[in-house]
Amino acid sequence: MNREHKAGEIQTAKAEQQVPWLEWAASGIGLFLVLGIFGVIGWQVFNGATTPPEIIVEVDTVAPVEGGYRVLFLARNTAGEAAAQVEIEGTVSKAGADTETSRVVLDYIPGHSERQGGLFFTYEPRSGSLAVRATGFTTP
Amino acid sequence: MRVTSERYAIGLARAFGGAIIFGIPLLMTMEMWSLGFSMGRGRLLLLMVFTLVLLIGLSYFSGFEKTFSLKEDAMDAFAALGVGVITSAVLLVVLAVITFDMSWGDIVGRVALQSVPASIGAMLGRKQLGDEQDMDAEEERKREAGYAGELFLMLAGALFLAFNMAPTEEMILIAFQMTPWHALALGVLSMLLLHVFVYSIGFSGQEGRPEGGTFLSTFLHFTLTGYGVALLVSLYVLWSFGRTDGVSVAEMANMLVVLGFPASLGAATARLVV
Repeated sequence: MNREHKAGEIQTAKAEQQVPWLEWAASGIGLFLVLGIFGVIGWQVFNGATTPPEIIVEVDTVAPVEGGYRVLFLARNTAGEAAAQVEIEGTVSKAGADTETSRVVLDYIPGHSERQGGLFFTYEPRSGSLAVRATGFTTP
Repeated sequence: MRVTSERYAIGLARAFGGAIIFGIPLLMTMEMWSLGFSMGRGRLLLLMVFTLVLLIGLSYFSGFEKTFSLKEDAMDAFAALGVGVITSAVLLVVLAVITFDMSWGDIVGRVALQSVPASIGAMLGRKQLGDEQDMDAEEERKREAGYAGELFLMLAGALFLAFNMAPTEEMILIAFQMTPWHALALGVLSMLLLHVFVYSIGFSGQEGRPEGGTFLSTFLHFTLTGYGVALLVSLYVLWSFGRTDGVSVAEMANMLVVLGFPASLGAATARLVV
């Protein structure tokens, strides 16, 4: 082994011809993955990765559950930057009664991504006006 | 001995083993998942480039095969990063950290960040998991590389261990609850352990004290430099993760000392691992 190392210079020329196909394949796949990842991250750098979060909340389904109603929603971050501790607030107002408010905090919504969550109400959400919106976030 | 595809396949299998073993602590760390999509894209890109350069250097000292040229070191580095990416992607999918309704930027960010420790693990896998290694050639390289090589190995070791700790919330919490006296004590302890690990207690791969060197010159030449490298690496890693943004200098110094502790242990033991 050691002698082979000392003959390194002679070996260099030979080694180039003898690179096994598997090494080419492994390095090639590696290079391909590296370029792909660099490409995607680099693309984000120049395409609004630094615009502050903008969060749109859409109501997905409303279903009766024991003790009230469950509202599933989708919170979508349409900007590039991730938002943390996103507070989602839902209100149901009923004619002649108080407004019922429920809140939930989503840990993270990455840029250009969506997260699902749910709120519970005791009032029937369909009977009054249901409004769900994001009230705030912190930067991660 | 000719390098055949079969021999290379064995090296590759060890690389996957190394990627899993060295990568698993961070693959199962919650903060790493969110950092994958929330850390600055420019900083993530820079970290990947830095990792690639580090891998080329590590390949020179101990890769999953003996190398003869920069081209081969580069090929090995790409292969290791490829192994790291594939290992991270598969494990993150299995652990349900990545699901396919996520956006591409999110998925790629998570895989890219996890591939940093995994690909370093892949590179070290051969050394740690293999039995038939060329110790003589390796030792010779380390000797030839001299002081610069020494510093590079310290940097690699410091980065690997610091990277394992830095994502966690605990680093900041510890810095918050420490008084200046705690920080000073931890700094002194870091340097002491760095010195002892490298020069005194006979780990394999330990350095002899440089010829003609007194305690003081060794301390200045290696221990203090090593600790400096550890602190710089800590600063770089903390900055990468956005932990230094808007933090006062005093608080940052505390954080550096906290992260500098694992980093200096990494620097001290790099020679054993690499």
